[in-house]
Amino acid sequence: MPKPPKKIEIFKAGLWKDNPVLRQILGICSTLAVTNLMVNTLVMNAGLIFTLTMSSLTVSLLRTYTPMRIRMMVQTLIIASYVIIVDIVIKAYLPSISEALGPYVGLIITNCIIMGRCEAFAKNNPPLASFLDGIAVAIGYAIVLMAIALVREPLGFGTLLGFRVMPDGFTPWTVMIMAPGAFFMLGLYVWIVKAFFPQPQEILKSG
Amino acid sequence: MKKRLFSIAYMFFITLFFTSIVSGVKVLNEERIERNQKAKLQRIILSVLQIPTNGEPSDEKVNQTFETRIKSIQVEGTTLYLGYDEEGKTILGYAFPVGGPGFWGPVFGMVAVDSEASKILGIAFYKHAETPGLGARITEDWFKDQFKGLPIFPVEEGKKIFYLKPEGTGEAPNELDAVTGATGTSRAVEGFLNNGLDRYLREIWKAVKKG
Repeated sequence: MPKPPKKIEIFKAGLWKDNPVLRQILGICSTLAVTNLMVNTLVMNAGLIFTLTMSSLTVSLLRTYTPMRIRMMVQTLIIASYVIIVDIVIKAYLPSISEALGPYVGLIITNCIIMGRCEAFAKNNPPLASFLDGIAVAIGYAIVLMAIALVREPLGFGTLLGFRVMPDGFTPWTVMIMAPGAFFMLGLYVWIVKAFFPQPQEILKSG
Repeated sequence: MKKRLFSIAYMFFITLFFTSIVSGVKVLNEERIERNQKAKLQRIILSVLQIPTNGEPSDEKVNQTFETRIKSIQVEGTTLYLGYDEEGKTILGYAFPVGGPGFWGPVFGMVAVDSEASKILGIAFYKHAETPGLGARITEDWFKDQFKGLPIFPVEEGKKIFYLKPEGTGEAPNELDAVTGATGTSRAVEGFLNNGLDRYLREIWKAVKKG
């Protein structure tokens, strides 16, 4: 079994070098759907951070016992359990946000970042490293979503976290409320990151 | 063979373990979730009947007001909520659910009419999947407030009780502002709200008058 990577390397990779949204273009569905309001984004982020870290930890804890051929079933079961728990808790304690997020909390189950981390990392690494990897990747996802919401909410609604930030005469940009607004913002960020901060393997590929 | 049996047993026990946890969390929170939904419906009913609940009261306070001021009856398969005055004697109005397909998904709303079925007291929407900032603006006060006091009466075939027109172009008193940029949602609301009111006047109100 290979030695687990250093903690600092795990964080560097999750937040920047292998950022799930900007570098791997994963988890796009929820990125487009929930980033038109900062509040929704924050709740979605909290849900994903919890699900990803707990799933990675659990998959890692069970890694030596789980038979190889049924590991995907086990991973799906673990992820689904945590997501349903998050969904129930949000419904019970934050009912209005639960309605705003609609089906997207439940759809964390299908967020490929989570299963991707379980398969790529947690199933081969010890619990602590997997837990940290979960946190790092989830925060990497969360930061990108917040960066998108930070532009979409002020331009689309004239507010940020519900507080008015734009001048009174400001006409909201309808496109920023709709999913295409997120496409534009995401495309812009991906372009900036890939153009100005390319990773070694990306230079090789394009050159 | 032994390996396969182990896989099946492993899957069985791990499923049992996780589903028990999920069921446990569900059971612990079920009551709270139900209470949230009930309180939300009660708030909506009180608000369309224009019964004040004094600022931002707790769910218990809303429940209290609801219990003393509202009675619900079944008429023609529709739940009617009767709103009473503070003494609990005179009926202020009737609230009933309206709804239909919106632009993205079903829209559930509540509308209240006065005790003579002559005008609207208020409307509100409590569940929908319309676009935030566009179709979802039907839940904003400026949209709902236009309906307050709107006269209702049975209309001829092909006519409607009210119309939604592009913002600022309505001339007659029953031509209200639609939501700009949400034509689909506006049309849907115009459709099901007119139908709901029409049905109320033609069927439910008659049954109520008969007692």
